[in-house]
Amino acid sequence: MTGADVVLSLAGTRRQRGSESDGFRLEVSHLALRRGECIAITGPSGSGKSTLLDLLGLVLAPDRSDGFMLNPQPGAAIDVARLWQRHDRNALAAIRARHIGYVLQTGGLLPFLPAIDNIRLSRDLLGLGDGDGLVERLTGALGIGRLLRKKPQALSIGERQRVAIARAIAHRPALLLADEPTAALDPGQAVGVMKLLLALVRELRITAVIVSHDWDLVSALGLRRVQAEPVTGEPLAVSRLTG
Amino acid sequence: MCLVFALAAVLAPLLTLFGLKSGIIATMTERLRADPRNLEITLRGHQRLDPAWFAAARSRPETGFVLPRTRLLAATISLESANGTALADVDMLPTAAGDPLLPEETAPAVGLQQILLTASAASRLKATTGDSLTGRVFRRLGDRPQTLALPLTITGIIPETAFGRDAAFVSLELLTATEDYRDGAAVPALGIVDGLPPTDPAVRTFANARLYARRLEDVAPLAAWVRDQGLEVATRAKEIETVRALNRVLSFVFLVLASIGVGGYLFSLAASLWANVDRKRREIALLRLVGLGTGPVIGFPVVQAVLVALAGISLSTLLYLGVAAAFNAAFVTQLGRDEFVCRLSFRDGAAAAALTVLFAAAAAMVGGYRAAKIDPAEGLRAS
Repeated sequence: MTGADVVLSLAGTRRQRGSESDGFRLEVSHLALRRGECIAITGPSGSGKSTLLDLLGLVLAPDRSDGFMLNPQPGAAIDVARLWQRHDRNALAAIRARHIGYVLQTGGLLPFLPAIDNIRLSRDLLGLGDGDGLVERLTGALGIGRLLRKKPQALSIGERQRVAIARAIAHRPALLLADEPTAALDPGQAVGVMKLLLALVRELRITAVIVSHDWDLVSALGLRRVQAEPVTGEPLAVSRLTG
Repeated sequence: MCLVFALAAVLAPLLTLFGLKSGIIATMTERLRADPRNLEITLRGHQRLDPAWFAAARSRPETGFVLPRTRLLAATISLESANGTALADVDMLPTAAGDPLLPEETAPAVGLQQILLTASAASRLKATTGDSLTGRVFRRLGDRPQTLALPLTITGIIPETAFGRDAAFVSLELLTATEDYRDGAAVPALGIVDGLPPTDPAVRTFANARLYARRLEDVAPLAAWVRDQGLEVATRAKEIETVRALNRVLSFVFLVLASIGVGGYLFSLAASLWANVDRKRREIALLRLVGLGTGPVIGFPVVQAVLVALAGISLSTLLYLGVAAAFNAAFVTQLGRDEFVCRLSFRDGAAAAALTVLFAAAAAMVGGYRAAKIDPAEGLRAS
């Protein structure tokens, strides 16, 4: 695997939450995500999946990191660890806006905007027009073309998730983070939504990190699995990422 | 919309109150200004004022008009109109260009034959502008009584509002000539050759002066300057000070009421926007997660507050205009032309609007600051 193939890499990174006595620490010795790769983060509750997602989503600063690089395009590497050291939150916000897409458990849509404006949210923040036709393609592929004028509260959970997927991808991010995107769906819908999501990110060569409890679903979709596992024998609850 | 109505509920009474204060004070001040007698500094008794004193008075920035006056008893003249009506011992006052008692269109009397009459004197003489009069000045030279008859022409009438009693305004030249005549001196200018040698103008002193300040605000300092020279003066400073004190008191009352009203509103606005941020916490966190920068996050409540302020100002202005019109209509019989009991200048209105927008934006910064503190990580847990 060459450096240009790696979209995101973490090395020697740790983050503690809570105090020394009753806190929790996530340690990532090494994690590299290839361009267009889809991985699943699995692990029991409290194993640090959310902490990892916050780190990858650039909303949680690592306590220590020997390397935290985001390489959204070949030859355009961004030293995230350094930005955190400089507390450059505006730069981090700009990176989130441009290079990362998020799919939350029940959509995380803005209730006062119709579906189409929710989908265009990141594009609008970046000042992107509709010239590339991606929004139209996504809404067609996700089967939500007739829902675009509806507000989120008028949509079913499954419809909201499909709108949320469209929003997360519409600005062609390099990295997509999905936090249990099918947790609120029934198993039949879950597989359908997940397949749609994976098909779109693969088509657009977007690297996807999907946090899921659903081991069966992850196995059925054939995703590379990265597991957060508690480590015994440490004075503090520690979870290490392996995979 | 509630915030707009709440702002209008605070701002409209304040605008009305300030309009009443401004209107009443402005009307009172204008009435003071309109009466030039309020600018006068009256010197009491007889003085010996030399040309240097007048030069010093004239050079002061507070001085609007200054002219020498002769002794009061020597400054009278008997007038007789062509129709035979006579008026004895009419006071003569000197006049010249810039005399604040003269109407704008009236030129001052010049030379030895022009005279301006007050409306009262003109009425009693049944004379008007352009009429001829005969002025008579009496003296006793040795044992002989003498009368000087002066052919005069009325060149203007001074309205009652400027000078309420019988008087004649003449040139200083005529006034000093008649004083010299009364004092038994020869007055070659009037063709009087018998008597004492004429007074040398270079050494002449005057018993009094007509002294006027440039503005109402100059009356007190100019009077103080005269007093500093040991001269006793009288002014209408008390009336002026009463209006100025009223202005200060009303300004203070307004300031207190405005502080309470506006302060309370701004507090409620800040609290409302703070609560708004709490209500929209999930959405703000989500927006921060997807990359909305700190500037727009702070700016949103600020823009919202500015829009609320502008809408509130518009509504308040409409309410104020209605109430002000009602006040001015109710008091129309007590008001003269161009006088208002409730009036807000454009400058004051614009200042009130600008301060409202500024304070509202400042109050909204509280909400903006709170919004900026929201951790974008909350967006990830937004569900």
